[in-house]
Amino acid sequence: MPSATEPVVTAGSKTPTRSWAGFERWNRKLHFYTGLFLIFFLWLFAFTGLILNHPTWTFHEHWKNRKETNYERAIAAPGADAVNDLDQARDIMRQLEIEGDILWTTTRTDSSLLDFQVRRPGHFYFIKANWAKGNATVRQAEVNLWGIMKVLHVFDGQVADDPRNSRDWALTYLWAYSMDAVAAGLIFMVLSSVFMWLQLPQKRWTGAIVLSLGCLSCGLFCWGLRWIF
Amino acid sequence: MKGRFYRLTRDLHLYLGLFISPFVLVFSVSVFFFVHSWTPKLAPATARTRVVSSLNLPSDLAKLSGRPLVDALKPILESMNVPGEIGFVQHRVKEETLSIPVSIPGRVTSVSIDLARHEATIVTRETGLADALMTLHKSPGGHGPDIRMNWFVMKAWRWFADATVYLTLFISVSGIYLWYVLRAERRIGFILLFAGILTFFGIAYAVSH
Repeated sequence: MPSATEPVVTAGSKTPTRSWAGFERWNRKLHFYTGLFLIFFLWLFAFTGLILNHPTWTFHEHWKNRKETNYERAIAAPGADAVNDLDQARDIMRQLEIEGDILWTTTRTDSSLLDFQVRRPGHFYFIKANWAKGNATVRQAEVNLWGIMKVLHVFDGQVADDPRNSRDWALTYLWAYSMDAVAAGLIFMVLSSVFMWLQLPQKRWTGAIVLSLGCLSCGLFCWGLRWIF
Repeated sequence: MKGRFYRLTRDLHLYLGLFISPFVLVFSVSVFFFVHSWTPKLAPATARTRVVSSLNLPSDLAKLSGRPLVDALKPILESMNVPGEIGFVQHRVKEETLSIPVSIPGRVTSVSIDLARHEATIVTRETGLADALMTLHKSPGGHGPDIRMNWFVMKAWRWFADATVYLTLFISVSGIYLWYVLRAERRIGFILLFAGILTFFGIAYAVSH
């Protein structure tokens, strides 16, 4: 079966050089190799993007259906080498055997108290450590699969315009760079598909019309609105 | 029949893919801005301030909240020539002011209405293309569903964003079919597909367990 993207050499057209033909062939191969490798990432981000855009759809409710547990543990004061909030929080997490990305939500007022949150997809920990009393109270929330999927869509360990809340867990880096890789893969797939379409003379006009429609409608939102309003 | 189905799938894959490609680029490029908290500025952000007085405000404006407040603010903002999507409104009771963020992709307008003096201070900031892409990527988003999509243009954006998802799903499934009929590519394709599945579930499992 011929592929959609097999170049068509029409009578009178120039015969492509060997290296050009190799480039076309590999462009086509890499287009579907990239797509096959990234397909589950793509489905995750596409589907969760859809449900995040429709918060009123009730089937994917996760926070209301969470399971919460509260407990208190004895902790030792962080070591002398834990000089800043992040080091002290990591020390407490190690003692509590909790892993995840730290989220700072409160400003510290007492040097023996430390309130912070730890998050990873599916798990939320709200920790209040008090080493003057030698204990830490933990509120732990676990969410369902929908919650895990939605958090994966946005899990990059960053809070916009808040340099204090940056990535601090190795696996957050891994997932964030996976997001970069998926985005780069999609950009490659778009560019390679445009290249393949241009190699199909009989599809150029129709393709040009639909691509122009896409560019016009998308450009309207990216640039046009500021120009119109 | 089989050949017709193949050709139809192939053409739909190509044309629908070309149509959504600018939208896919918007969502993909903005990922880098989110992941790295980085907003490149091609031109310096500009801001201008103006004051509008003698506003005609409904008497119960200060008592409203949520969607009724947004609906009441729409004609007021229209009269001041401030178009856009209204965000979360803050009512500062002591100062008797309403702070209203209004956004158009690439432009943020902050409107502060002095309820006692019937006066509004409007600060408009042009935030650029990168910010526009980020705004579009996260619109409408999961927060404040009762007040969101209060500007018809953003309602239209939601249709396009949804359509991008549906078409992406179609294109990915049709892409699998188009790959599968190429016998020579099946072996390497299966290897990459399984490698992708392993990578995806491996990382997702590691971060969530």
